[in-house]
Amino acid sequence: MNLKNLHEQEIRLVYGHVLNELIEKNPNVFCLEADLSKASGTNPIVLNAHPKNFINIGVAEANMIGVAAGLASDGKIPFCATFCCFATRRVYDQITISVAYANNNVKIIGTGPGITQGPNGGTHMCFQDIAIMRAMPNMRIFSPCDAYEVRSVLHYMAENYGGMYMQLLRQQLPAVFDEHYQFQPGKARKLRDGNDVTLVSTGYMTHFALKVADELAKEGVGVDLLHCPSIKPFPEDDLIESVRKTNAAVTVENQNMIGGLGGAVCETLSERYPVRVKRLGVPDRFGEIATEEYLFEKHGFGMEHIKQSCRELAKK
Amino acid sequence: MTTLQENEFDRLAAELRYVVTDMICRSGSGHIGGALSLVEIILTLYYRVMKIDPNNPQWTERDRLVLSKGHAAPILYAVLAYRGFFPKSWLGTLNADGTKLPSHADARTVPGIDMTTGSLGQGLSAASGMALAAKKDGRANNVYCIIGDGETNEGQNWEAALFAPHQKLDNLIAVTDYNKLQIDGFTADILDLEPLAEKWRAFGWNVLEMFGHDQNDIRRTFLHAKSLRNGKPTMIIAHTIKAYGNKILENAAGSHNIKVPDSQTHEQHLAALSGDAFTLPY
Repeated sequence: MNLKNLHEQEIRLVYGHVLNELIEKNPNVFCLEADLSKASGTNPIVLNAHPKNFINIGVAEANMIGVAAGLASDGKIPFCATFCCFATRRVYDQITISVAYANNNVKIIGTGPGITQGPNGGTHMCFQDIAIMRAMPNMRIFSPCDAYEVRSVLHYMAENYGGMYMQLLRQQLPAVFDEHYQFQPGKARKLRDGNDVTLVSTGYMTHFALKVADELAKEGVGVDLLHCPSIKPFPEDDLIESVRKTNAAVTVENQNMIGGLGGAVCETLSERYPVRVKRLGVPDRFGEIATEEYLFEKHGFGMEHIKQSCRELAKK
Repeated sequence: MTTLQENEFDRLAAELRYVVTDMICRSGSGHIGGALSLVEIILTLYYRVMKIDPNNPQWTERDRLVLSKGHAAPILYAVLAYRGFFPKSWLGTLNADGTKLPSHADARTVPGIDMTTGSLGQGLSAASGMALAAKKDGRANNVYCIIGDGETNEGQNWEAALFAPHQKLDNLIAVTDYNKLQIDGFTADILDLEPLAEKWRAFGWNVLEMFGHDQNDIRRTFLHAKSLRNGKPTMIIAHTIKAYGNKILENAAGSHNIKVPDSQTHEQHLAALSGDAFTLPY
């Protein structure tokens, strides 16, 4: 794996290569799939390199989580990947009991978060995985924004005990970070400094938020951009430090506005440092088969919407 | 393994039945039916079949048991305590505030429990994962898993039923506690499982049947299951009687979970057990 050019690859392939790296470091790492191994990027990358550590469970996600719990109870570190909708809401009780409650060391990878499921349409377009996983005790939740961050989060997941969920973007995306990036749970990344408004983003929306911050800077609006790869634990202190300066926050996420990143920001600020907040995301609707442009426009969380909200809250 | 003579087995089974009944009654309520249907089976596993070390509950080479019907935990707790995994005095704390022994099997707090269970249908998957881990590591241990007949309604069992033979998990020995009753009534009336043996056979499992209250039948069947190792997992269909040994509740709908509101009811349930009273170890 060429670490300098990770961002030139589809992130799913990065997932496969990083799993190989993890298995080579620790043979207890296992790759579990539920008949979507090509979509996850582990077939043929992991299948060919480490067939003994690759287990295709079949289209049986509940069994995948249970088998993973059994493997984990014997010291294995299983990474279970499938689309976000099947990785979380379909197996919510299995994760709750066999992983989180039982405290088994299972790693869950939800692929194709939110609108990035585009061509699969409404049945597969999951806007609630962050919210429902946040509501589960003993579960850590990560939503990295580029290939370098994906790699670093995966290393963290393999090296630290406990149930964890990560959203995995599958497509190639521009680099936000570089090969020196080190993920820290519970910390936000300050991507731009500004005094007028705090913009909080995660996952897929961060590279859009970066463009927005740069374009608004030219208009004279100073955006303090916080990227939150660690949804739980949530970087409360970093957020408060930012809003002490700006007194306003806009949140943007590729999820339902209920209970996700915007929810976490509101919970934190309403208790610790109340300021005005504007949440952007999907306003409590299901997805549908459509282009990204159409979905951004319909639900109101594209770059123009982010800009407009930042301008409004920057005025005050 | 211990050398437990036939008469000692019978006496120990009677004592465990008495202790489990008392544990549940003193806590005020509990899943007595499915615990009493498993007394002889779990006793046999931990005294005559499984390779375990009570002084080293996490021993890598040990046999594992997943009690997928986690609500039968009181009998497993009692057998583990008698076998020396933890002090028998704990048994008097079942379901009490702050207890280490909650109503459903808990690996986080109880030495000797290999998997936390309670939400039905998940244990056979976990046991398959453990059996797979043993295969990957080249370990010789077996993994046992007890599922309920009502629990067999859950679809996840049938995902695991496909998976275990596909992975050739012949170190996996499952038991169906087929007491023919689930919470709302007879399994035949609620959601019929028959022909149950044919179903497991069709999924590619070895299938054995036994009477789950006959110590010799149980021992023979487990020894047979252990000897198979033919590339297939084994399902033992254990014909049992729900709340076996309690004359009030035996084979009765409503025996799944009892309420014990007062000491009179408590005494009635102890008296409903045939045989002697025993000194409680707590």
